[in-house]
Amino acid sequence: MSNSMEMADLMIYAMSREIKNHNSALHGVSSPLPVLAMSLARKTHAPDMAFISGAGGVDPEFERIFLSSFDPRQNEGASAYYGLHEVFDLAQKGELHVMFLGSAQIDLHGNTNLSVIGSIENPKVQLPGGAASAFLMPITPQVVIWSTRHTPRTFVEEVDFVTGQGYNHRTEEQMKNEMTIVSNLGVMNFKNPDRVMQIQSYHPGHSIEEIQEATGFELLVAADVAETPVPGADVIDLIKAMDPDGVRLTEFHK
Amino acid sequence: MKKVLCSFEEAVGLIKDGDVMTTGGATFHRAPMALINEIIRQKKKDLVLVDREPAIDFDILIGAGCVEKVRAGLLAFELLGFAPNFRKKSESGEIITKEGACQPIIAGFRAAAMGIPSLPIRGMLGSDLLDISEVLGSQQQFDDPFTGEKLIAVRAIEPDVAVLHAQQADEFGNVRIEGPKYEDIIKAKAAKTVIVTAEEIVSNEEIRKNPEATSIPHFHVDAVVHAPNGAYPCSCFNRYDADYDHVREYIEAVNNDQFENYLEQYVYGRDAA
Repeated sequence: MSNSMEMADLMIYAMSREIKNHNSALHGVSSPLPVLAMSLARKTHAPDMAFISGAGGVDPEFERIFLSSFDPRQNEGASAYYGLHEVFDLAQKGELHVMFLGSAQIDLHGNTNLSVIGSIENPKVQLPGGAASAFLMPITPQVVIWSTRHTPRTFVEEVDFVTGQGYNHRTEEQMKNEMTIVSNLGVMNFKNPDRVMQIQSYHPGHSIEEIQEATGFELLVAADVAETPVPGADVIDLIKAMDPDGVRLTEFHK
Repeated sequence: MKKVLCSFEEAVGLIKDGDVMTTGGATFHRAPMALINEIIRQKKKDLVLVDREPAIDFDILIGAGCVEKVRAGLLAFELLGFAPNFRKKSESGEIITKEGACQPIIAGFRAAAMGIPSLPIRGMLGSDLLDISEVLGSQQQFDDPFTGEKLIAVRAIEPDVAVLHAQQADEFGNVRIEGPKYEDIIKAKAAKTVIVTAEEIVSNEEIRKNPEATSIPHFHVDAVVHAPNGAYPCSCFNRYDADYDHVREYIEAVNNDQFENYLEQYVYGRDAA
């Protein structure tokens, strides 16, 4: 699958399935794929979920998405405003169920880096920062990381800096949550006794070997590994209607 | 009630070199850009900027040489990419970047708004950000005295100045914010000095017709400036949308070493309204 639009839609479909009905889910900045995944979930298999927008709206019925995921136009039709400090209270109570986070680097144990490439004192690349990662990763039951660039430079054995903590962090008693990674090659998770990254599914046109090749460390393969389900025409139409301008392609062009 | 309506020049006169400053809004939405341009014109120096998720408001101050330190949960231009001046000056060592995370910054503002020195939060454990913060003295692990749970105490963030942009205010500093409030109300309560720019100055009589619409009462506010289009190129809900094409022009200017020309054209070349 080489077409970016098809890949975006496949990733959105995969991300949407991480949300269960009755879940509450939050997206942050620069998040076209999560916004569309959350909206798709609400329009399909999770009609009773709570969609909490980083832009401040609850259950918005926006016409389309914009270059800023905080654009107030994405709150159109919302049933309430809910501030980020309130969402964070909810998360501390354990009642924010799903969070979508990005990452510049991610490692074998699910640690993510959004801070610096190189050292923190003397950064080779100053990355934008972790936003909610460090706070939400240990306390949110389902963390979903998305990456449109599955390469050995992003999937590294050990991150340069632990912004968001995976399964090998220093307070393991707190890590009871699940983390899923949806990349442009496949879906990975940590559902094994050692809590290391494993391939759960490979996207159509890609393979286990290709994913391994694009990863800077050795991956496990889930016993029930399979091809990632492809969205049907109805799902693709829903996504297209919410993003007629193709904002979701922006991340594939960088 | 004291009249606090004043000019851009007078309002920025309340800001001192080296002040800890926060701004209202989030990313490209309701940032107080017109007032920030006046800060640049008055050549303020060594500001310490703190916010959860700022964008062009912090980046333009950094590019104009007004900033010594930045503490932000995330500083980027959303899908338009890196914050160009922030990245440049952070990598060259011209500014000191203390990268945070959103919750410790929000909780720090909330602590200051409550008038207490720190606030406990969950999360953070295991992040290298926590190690850095413990060294800097902005966060500290502790055991909750009642349950024994390992929590993080976040030190209060009491900015010297908060600069906010709103849709309406009266001459006494009663402020109406329409749409998402972000942490603006918390910041107004946390900061020592609060400057509010407003699209529209309304009468106190108008404010009294609907007290529910008042987001920030006058006693928190030290200065009000009439600033139509005062968030541009950021959006102001119910008034205008963000101008992403202008933001692209800004990024181009920085990346092509034309930032001084950009400032000349859009900041120095223009008087405060």
